[in-house]
Amino acid sequence: MAKKKSISIINTYLATFQSLKTQPKLVIPFACFAFVELIFLLLIYVAPRQPFNIVLAPPIRAFWGERFLHYPVNFLLLPKLASHSRNFLSCIIGSLLTGFAVAMVADTYNSKTVHLFSALKNAFRKYLSLFTVVLIINLLFLGLVKVMEMGLIRYFTSGHATLLFLKPVIWLGPILIALNLLLVVLVQGVFVYAIPLLMIENLKLFKAIGRSALLFVKLFLPTLALVGLPVLIYIPIIILQFNAPFLIDRLFPESVLYVCIAAVVINSLVIDLLVTLSTTILFLQNKK
Amino acid sequence: MAICGCSPDQYSVEREYWKIKKQSESILRNPAATPPNELERAVTQLQSFAQKNSKNVLAVDAEFAVARLYAAKDEFEKARKQLKGLMAKYNKSDVISSEALFLIGNTYQIQGKWESALQEYKKIIADYPLTTRGLETPIYIAQYYKVKFQPDKMVEALGEAIGHYRALAEKYPGSPLAFKAYTMISSCYSATKDWENTVSALNIITEQFKGKVSLEAVFLDMIAIYKKELKDNAKAQETLDRLIKEYPNSKFISSAKALLKK
Repeated sequence: MAKKKSISIINTYLATFQSLKTQPKLVIPFACFAFVELIFLLLIYVAPRQPFNIVLAPPIRAFWGERFLHYPVNFLLLPKLASHSRNFLSCIIGSLLTGFAVAMVADTYNSKTVHLFSALKNAFRKYLSLFTVVLIINLLFLGLVKVMEMGLIRYFTSGHATLLFLKPVIWLGPILIALNLLLVVLVQGVFVYAIPLLMIENLKLFKAIGRSALLFVKLFLPTLALVGLPVLIYIPIIILQFNAPFLIDRLFPESVLYVCIAAVVINSLVIDLLVTLSTTILFLQNKK
Repeated sequence: MAICGCSPDQYSVEREYWKIKKQSESILRNPAATPPNELERAVTQLQSFAQKNSKNVLAVDAEFAVARLYAAKDEFEKARKQLKGLMAKYNKSDVISSEALFLIGNTYQIQGKWESALQEYKKIIADYPLTTRGLETPIYIAQYYKVKFQPDKMVEALGEAIGHYRALAEKYPGSPLAFKAYTMISSCYSATKDWENTVSALNIITEQFKGKVSLEAVFLDMIAIYKKELKDNAKAQETLDRLIKEYPNSKFISSAKALLKK
């Protein structure tokens, strides 16, 4: 059974790369998202500069403080703002582009001709449902992360020096990052089939979410692998972003921007692409 | 990006200054290994930055950085000359003048000329009592004696500091300055382990500034002193009850309760 499951993961990845080879157009939705994300990253970067600071500085000042509008402290906030903008963009545009990508994958897998316009039109028709799915994923993930963080902070501020013999700096540092990654994989895993179910089987929103959760349980290990393995590529970026003060001090402040650009490229053009395509193909393989 | 580069804004000035300062920090990290021309280059860069951006607040920081570089390379006369020039240029700013005086005192202190340094520090206390330096210098003097293992002089300095802070608090009652002064008084008493007076000073804060500022941390300090130093559990509990009554949602309550349980 285990050998069958591991073969299916390999087969799925082989089918994914084969699809990309035969239909390079599959990259288009992810490239579009990466482009928009880069524009937003650039805007965040120039937020302290004239004339952009007229519009962009007040929200930063209100939520995070004046110091983050000055060089080089603005680079400390850059990864956080980039992450928030990614969450926002993933709901507004990412949902549509994911639906677009899934429609194209389905056509490719079924050896049909991929029509960009009709795939996009199909995704537009389901935009509200796609948006809701991605919104639920983001809110659930952010909510769980916040609960975890607040729980740990409350535990340590109520007089406890350690938890399982580990100090707060370890729990609120590397362990919290690891737990966040695990949450990303689990939350994404539960909902990852919702968009293929919406786009390919034309299910209604909550039925698609329910079926996605069931599929996650049924295809637990393959789904975990397909969602989790690409996420591992992101770990160096997380480590670098976590050590932004070190980068600013030992290299140069702009190195944080370059790390954020690398994060956009890796996230959108590698992780999102691999996860979306491979899980859609696994869904189609399972359907067969 | 092209739009940003058209004219220098505050951000681009900050970026330029950060790069110059980074170079001078390498000198401060290892002054003995820095060749003289390296120092002159850094000084020239800082001075031309200050001249080019004379209306910018960073120009002042640049001029202070020049003085610190000279001091790091043991060129104390040049450092003092730079600082006196700063005081003359910015004589309308008490903050800048007090900071410059403090650094002049530091240069004498590094040279081992404590009496000259003390003279400068006392000038800050007399002439700029309302600045941050003016408030911190009395305790700085006491800490010097502590580090030099001169307990009698430390106690004397703390006594002078307490008198100075009390005078300020009485002159500006109910003000943020008075709050700061009473906080410093309690620090002075705690440095001499006079816990009764420490708690007394903190109590004055809770009475005079009730409703004006958040006093949760003050109550927590009082509970800690009653429990750990004065071994008075009854007073500690009484103070905890006050904290709960006045700040029922305070995040310090659980810490205070944990403290009392120990």
